[in-house]
Amino acid sequence: MMDFIVLFPLIVVGAGAIILMLMASMKSLGEGNTALAALGIFALAFAVQLMVSATESVTPYGGIFNGMLVANGFTKVAGLIIIASGFVSCLTAQSYFTQNKFYSAEFYSLIMFAACGMLLLTMSAELITLFISLEIMSLAIYVLVGYDRTNIKRSEAVLKYLMLGAFAGAFFTMGTAFVYAAVNSTRFVDIAGHLSTTSFLESPAMAAGAFLVIVAFLFKVAAFPFHAWVVDVYDGAPLPVTGFMATAVKTAVFAVFANFLIIDDGLKGVWVEYLFYIAVLTMFAGNLIAIGQNSLKRMLAASGIVHTGYLLVALVAVGTENFTGGVILYYLAAYAVATLGVFAALSYLGGENERRDTFEHFKGLAKVRPYSAAAITIFMLSMAGIPPTAGFMGKFYIIADAIRAGYMLLAVLAIVSSVLSMWYYLRLVVMMYFKEPEEEFETTGMSLAPIGTALLAVCVFAIGFYPVLL
Amino acid sequence: MYENILTVMIFLPILAGFGVLVLPMKNEAARAVGLVAAILVVILGLRIFFNFAGTGGFEFTERVELFESVGISYSLGVDGISFLVLMAGACLFPMAYLLLTTKNKGYYANMLIAQGAMIGAIAATDMILFYVFWEVMLLPIFFMIGLYGGPSRLHATLKITLYTIAGSLFMLAAIIYIGVVYHYQTGSWSFNITDLMALNLAGGPATAAFIFFMFAFAIKIPLFPFHTWLPDAYTEAPTAATFLLSAIMAKIGVYAVIRFVLPIFAEEFARFALLLAYSGVIGMMYCGIAAIAQKDFKRMLAFSSASHMGIIALGIFCMNLQALTGTLYQIVAHATSTGVLFLLLGIIEERMDTRTIGDLGGIAYKAPIFATFFAVAMLASVGLPGTSGFIGEFLIILGAVKFNITIGVLAGTTLIIGVCYMLWMFQRVFFEKLTEKTEKFTDLSPIETLTILPIVVLIIVMGIYPQPFLDKVAPAAKQQLAQVLTEQHQVADSADPLMEQIEQKN
Repeated sequence: MMDFIVLFPLIVVGAGAIILMLMASMKSLGEGNTALAALGIFALAFAVQLMVSATESVTPYGGIFNGMLVANGFTKVAGLIIIASGFVSCLTAQSYFTQNKFYSAEFYSLIMFAACGMLLLTMSAELITLFISLEIMSLAIYVLVGYDRTNIKRSEAVLKYLMLGAFAGAFFTMGTAFVYAAVNSTRFVDIAGHLSTTSFLESPAMAAGAFLVIVAFLFKVAAFPFHAWVVDVYDGAPLPVTGFMATAVKTAVFAVFANFLIIDDGLKGVWVEYLFYIAVLTMFAGNLIAIGQNSLKRMLAASGIVHTGYLLVALVAVGTENFTGGVILYYLAAYAVATLGVFAALSYLGGENERRDTFEHFKGLAKVRPYSAAAITIFMLSMAGIPPTAGFMGKFYIIADAIRAGYMLLAVLAIVSSVLSMWYYLRLVVMMYFKEPEEEFETTGMSLAPIGTALLAVCVFAIGFYPVLL
Repeated sequence: MYENILTVMIFLPILAGFGVLVLPMKNEAARAVGLVAAILVVILGLRIFFNFAGTGGFEFTERVELFESVGISYSLGVDGISFLVLMAGACLFPMAYLLLTTKNKGYYANMLIAQGAMIGAIAATDMILFYVFWEVMLLPIFFMIGLYGGPSRLHATLKITLYTIAGSLFMLAAIIYIGVVYHYQTGSWSFNITDLMALNLAGGPATAAFIFFMFAFAIKIPLFPFHTWLPDAYTEAPTAATFLLSAIMAKIGVYAVIRFVLPIFAEEFARFALLLAYSGVIGMMYCGIAAIAQKDFKRMLAFSSASHMGIIALGIFCMNLQALTGTLYQIVAHATSTGVLFLLLGIIEERMDTRTIGDLGGIAYKAPIFATFFAVAMLASVGLPGTSGFIGEFLIILGAVKFNITIGVLAGTTLIIGVCYMLWMFQRVFFEKLTEKTEKFTDLSPIETLTILPIVVLIIVMGIYPQPFLDKVAPAAKQQLAQVLTEQHQVADSADPLMEQIEQKN
C-alpha cells in the first residue's frame, strides 16, 4: 500500500497530463476551464504527496521496478515543491493567456508532463531511469519554450535550449556508459558498493563517467561555465514557462544531483574541491550578468544563476551530520516561492505580449497598484535574504552549513555575493516606490494570478517561520 | 502581569504600522494611531522603568523556542546594559508624532514599524533574533528617505542601505560562526547571549569574526572611517527619519558592541582597543571640524551628532568601569539632546522652508521658548555641567585618561571644538539681525511646548541628579566588564591589571 501511495502523485500527474491531452481535442473546452482542470489535478497530487509519510527510504515495488525508484523524506519535499510550482505556473498561465493570445489546450498538458518527469527524476535511483525522466522533463520544456512559434525570439530560445540540452543529454549518456563499464550496473546502490571497495581514481572509466554526468547536471542547473544559455532562454520563453523552468526544473535537478553526489563520500570527496570553485564562479558570474540587465526577465534569469551558486555551496557542504539535504530543499522552497511570486505578478502586470518588462516600465507601480508593488517588494527582499523572510532563513542555513563543514571562505564569498545582489533587487524596489508613475498598469479579463501572488507573499513569511523541512 | 510586556512593546507598533498601511485611513487618523501607539509604548516603558530591579541579570524575560534543531529562540529580556537604551527607544517617539506633520500616512506607518523593530533589537537576547530586528529596522529608513527625503534622496538611501546591509551580512557570518563554535564545544546549538558569553574564542577565525562584528557596528554607529554615508543620509532624510537614525539607531550600534562584542571577544577586544579608540577620537575631531565648516544647518547637526557618537564609542573601547558607565549614560543623554535638536530643526524647516544657516537670524527675539529649549539641548549636547551630557562625557573622558593619556587629552579637546561650532551656530541663528524669513517665525504652540518640556526637564534632572539612573546601569556594566577583567587578571596579576595588560600589548 505504501508503495502505491508513494507513486500515486506521479500517477495522478501523469494520468492528468494524458487526460488533458485527450480533452484538448474537444474544442469546446475553454481556456479557463482547462486551467481549472489542471489546477485541480495539481491540487490533488499535492494533497496526496503531503500525506506520504516516508520517514525512511522506500523502494516502491522493488521487485517489479528492479529498484529503479526510491522515495524518502527528501524526495517527498522535492515533489511538493515541484507540484506547487506546477500549480502556481498554471495560475500564472491563466492570467498570461488573458493578455497573450497564442493559447492552445495542450499547454497545460505539457506543463503536467514536465512535472511528471520531474517527480520521476527526484525518485530515480538508477542512471537510465534518471536519463529517461530527465528527457521526459526536457522534451516537454523544449516545446513549452517555443510554444508561441510565430515569435522569432521564442524560436531562437528554443533552438538554443534544444541544441545545448541535446549536448548535455549526450554527455549524460556517455557518462552512464562509462560508469556502467566500471561498475557493471547503473544503480546508485551498486555504484556506491563499487566505490567502497575500489578507490575512485583507480578506475578511469568511473572517473570519466562521473565527470560527464556531473557536467550534464551542471548544465541543467546552469552552473558556471555552463550558465550562458540561461539568460537568452529564460528571456525567450513565455513568462509562465520561465517561472516554471526557474523553479521546478532547478528543484528536480538539484534533488537528483544531491542524491547522486551523496551516494558515496569517495565520489563527493573528489568533486567537492571542484564544486567549490564552480560555486564561487557561478555566484559571481551570475551577479556580473544580473547587474548589467535592464529587462526584468533577464535579471531574474541571471539572479537564478546566483541562486544556483548558493545551492552549490550547500551541495559542497552536504553530508555533514544532521541538517543535510534539508538545507538544499529549504532553500529551493524559499527560492521557488519568491521567484514564482514575481513571475505571477509579472504575468498580469506585463501587459499584452509582455510589453512591460524592463525596470523602467515599473516606475511608480507602488502609486498605481500598491498591493502588487508590496508583494513584489516582499519577493525581492526574500531573494536578497533580508529577514524575516524565507530567503533569509535559507541563506542562514546554507551559510551555517558551510561554516560547519569548514568552508569559512566559501561562506564569506556567499555573503559578498549577497551584498552584490542587493544592487539589482533594490533597484526594482527603488523604481516601484521612488519614481513617479507613467503607466496605468491596466489588466484585462478575469485573472487568477493576483490571488497566487497574494498567497505566495504570505508563504514567504510562513516558510520563513517554519523549521528546516527535514 | 509583566510576562509579555516586551512582546507587546515590540508588536504593538509593528501591527499598528501595518494597520495604517493596509486599512484605508486619512493622514490625521494615521498620525493619531501612531501617537496612541507611541504613548502606550511609553506607558509600558515607564512600567519597566519603575519595576526594574537592576540586579545585573535579565529581567522581564520571555522565551519561546523557534527552531530547536539549530537553537534559535524568541527570547527577550532587559538588563542594565539595555535598560537605558530601551528607555530611549520607548519614550522619545511621541515627540516625533506631535511635532512633525506630513501629507503621507506611509510616513507614520514606517515610523511605527521602525520603533517596534528597534525595541526588538534592544530587547532580543538571542543573536539571530537580534539580527532579524536589526535588519527590519533598516527597511523603514530605506523607504522614509527614498519616499519623503530631499532632492538627492535616491543617492542617499541607496548609500545607507548598501552600506548597512553589507555590514550586517558580515555580522551574520560572524554570528553563525559563534554558533558553530558553540556547537563544537558543547554539542548542542544555541544563539542565546548568556550561553555564548561563556565561550572562549581565540585564533584567526575568531579575529575575523570580531572584525566582521565591528565592521557592522562601526557602520551603524558610525565610526571613522565608516561614516561617509552619514552626512548624505542625515541631510536628505525627512526630519523624523533623521531623528530615528541619530537618536536611536546609532545608539543601538553602540549598545550592540557592549552587549555582544565585548563579552564574547574579550581577548580580541583588548587587542584592538587602542586602534578602535583612536578611530573614535579621530572621528570625533574630524566630524567636529567638518561641522564648523557647514552652511546647511542639518548637515552641521549631522556632523556634530557623528562627532559625539565618536565619544560614546570611545567609552566602550577604554574598557574600564567609569568609561563604560559613562557610555551607557551618554547614550540616553545624547539621544535626548540630539533628538530634541533635530526635531526643533524640523520645526524651523517646516515653518521657514530653509535650513541654510545664513538665511536665519534673530530667532531668539521672535521665539524665546523655542530658543530656550534649543539652548538647553545644545548645551547638553556639548556637555555643560548641570546637563545630562556633562555626566556622561565626564565619565568617559575620565576613563579615557585612565586608559591612555593621549587619547584622554585628544578627547578633551574635541569638547572645545564642540563648544566652538555650537556657540557660533547659536549666535548666527538665534541672535544677530532678523532676516526676511525669520521675521514671520512664530514661537512654539502650547502643545509643542508641552511635548518638548518633559525631555528638557529630563535633560536637566539627569544632569543634576544622575544617581537613580546610574544605580540601574552600574551593576550590569560591572558584570559585563568582569569577564574582560578576569581574563586580564590571569595574564598580568597586578594592582591595575587592565592597564598593565594594555600597556604590554603596545
